Amino acid sequence: MIDFLAAAIRIATPLVFAALGGILSERAGVFAVGLEGMMLMGAFAAVMGAWAAGSAVVGLLLAVLGGGAMGLTVAIVTVRCRADNMVTGLTANILALGLTTYLLHVLAGSVAIDVTPLGALPIPGLARIPVLGPLLFSQPPLTYLAVAGCAALSFLLYRTQTGLMLRATGENPEAVFVAGANPLRLRMVAVICCGAIAGLGGAVLSLQQVGTFTDGMTGGRGYLALASLIVGRWNPWGAAAACLVFGAAEALEFRLQSFGIPLSSYVVQMMPYLIAIAVLAGLGRSTKLPAAIGKPL
Amino acid sequence: MSDSAVSPRASRYGLRLRTDGIFLRILAAIGLSMVCAALLVAVAGHNPLTAFQAMVMGALGSPYQIGVVLNRTSPYLLAGAGVALCFRAGVINIGADGQIALGGIGATATVLAWPGPPTAITAIAALIGAALCGALWSGIATAINLGRRVNEVLVTLLLNFVALLLVQLLLSGPLGQRGAGFLQSPPMPRAVWLWRVPGFYFHSGILIGVIAAITLSVLLWKTPFGFAVRVTGRSRPAAAYAGFSVAGVTWGVMLTAGALAGLGGGVEVLGLHHRLIEGFSTGFGFKAVTVALLGALEPAAVIPAALFVGLLETGALAMQRQIGVPSALVVVIEGITMLFILTATVRRA
Repeated sequence: MIDFLAAAIRIATPLVFAALGGILSERAGVFAVGLEGMMLMGAFAAVMGAWAAGSAVVGLLLAVLGGGAMGLTVAIVTVRCRADNMVTGLTANILALGLTTYLLHVLAGSVAIDVTPLGALPIPGLARIPVLGPLLFSQPPLTYLAVAGCAALSFLLYRTQTGLMLRATGENPEAVFVAGANPLRLRMVAVICCGAIAGLGGAVLSLQQVGTFTDGMTGGRGYLALASLIVGRWNPWGAAAACLVFGAAEALEFRLQSFGIPLSSYVVQMMPYLIAIAVLAGLGRSTKLPAAIGKPL
Repeated sequence: MSDSAVSPRASRYGLRLRTDGIFLRILAAIGLSMVCAALLVAVAGHNPLTAFQAMVMGALGSPYQIGVVLNRTSPYLLAGAGVALCFRAGVINIGADGQIALGGIGATATVLAWPGPPTAITAIAALIGAALCGALWSGIATAINLGRRVNEVLVTLLLNFVALLLVQLLLSGPLGQRGAGFLQSPPMPRAVWLWRVPGFYFHSGILIGVIAAITLSVLLWKTPFGFAVRVTGRSRPAAAYAGFSVAGVTWGVMLTAGALAGLGGGVEVLGLHHRLIEGFSTGFGFKAVTVALLGALEPAAVIPAALFVGLLETGALAMQRQIGVPSALVVVIEGITMLFILTATVRRA
């Protein structure tokens, strides 16, 4: 059981980062369909950085920059050039897939890029609590950072002037303009930060979990993060909870197979997507998108 | 600033094009992305001119290569024309991956379940089955979208993943070939293969695609339904005022697009692979969106747009074989072209 929950947390971590970034972007009024591409750029940059410099910290910095660069691209096309959010996000995902595959071949050739994955970082004292210790306090460093990120984003959104302005930009940008702030700049910054944070999520995948980069390794996780932030109603803790549900669904996949339950693995793999559709459909009319989302200024 | 006096839906929906000088804008976008591509080739340590020459020769160098290009173009054309129609109505359907996958399933299941010896009738039935399955998949998305107010982009996207897994599930079960080592169906009997143009490598899928695109163009510009589609895409309140049913238009464009994409899947199975294979439709959804926007959301103009993407991809594979520039470059070119086209032409209301 502890193994199962630990696996759920492990699988949820990259999703949480992407969802946090997505909340920033969507609260500011830009659909975050590009999360997948931002994560992929982050995952690629992290491994390349850690490989070239031999340091995980450099990898993480590059992940933030790589994801942020993708965020900047999306921000320019959607906010400045007023293009359709959805199609731009989709394009960003494809561009990231092509770019990382191409650069991996060009930079690494046929060399296998392996880096040491970030190990668990038990918190002294707390890690020795039975049950909770191994589960919550013996996680790798980025998992703690994800929890801290939830707290930080909650504080930013609901307790600061900037957060108020950001939320208002997604609801009624004209009012923000009248109040003396620049909604365009807020959106640009929010989308760039979204990319940077989602890039960290990609780094969790490549640097913390497997220690290498493979083509298209995000495999739809950006879209699951997008679904979880909607299910979590654009609230950091809510989104994190939804990510845990998806993590649990995927963790269950391995359990079911090892218990020999006669359910095709393909059906089990469909579960996260079916759950996402079912939950979104269940929320249905009660979901309240930020009012001005997807509307160009 | 958006116009808050109008109903919010008027500005939330409706992908619009700036139509003044649109073909020049699209050409400029293609040109700029080629410059970016040349830079990337240079990064890889190759001469961009040699690379592009290899691309052109690889795509147009022989009748065989031209046939390869036309085969590659067929599913993009079929799916892209449908996506263009959806976008015209302000419905963003990015589910062509899944709809094409379902089309492949429909065609394969029809052939495998066909009683008696397979004939040309079987092939026609299989294509109809493909179109019906594709329409079924887009219909599910539409039902969830309209019934439960889930954004159509999210539903079609999530259903893509489900459809790809469904292909794998069926190939590991009733549609699969036992002991093949790969997830694939048994080979199709020769009688159901699509007719091939004598002397050339290409099959009749491209002809079906051209007919479909021209039919859609007529549908869009010469029929009451097409008018309703265009009005709905421009302004939903105006469409409602004129008495058009937004839900009806959404159903119409989604089912049409799903059926065409499904047909594209059937054409791939019956014309090209001669069997259903795992992951055969991955990435087609994005190509469909690319060609729809390259073709300025005009179904007839999707024909040259799909040809362009087909040329690019066939050429890129040849380039990889001949001089070793990774063919993933073409995905980058497509992505950059799309971003330039979006910045240059698309503007929301």
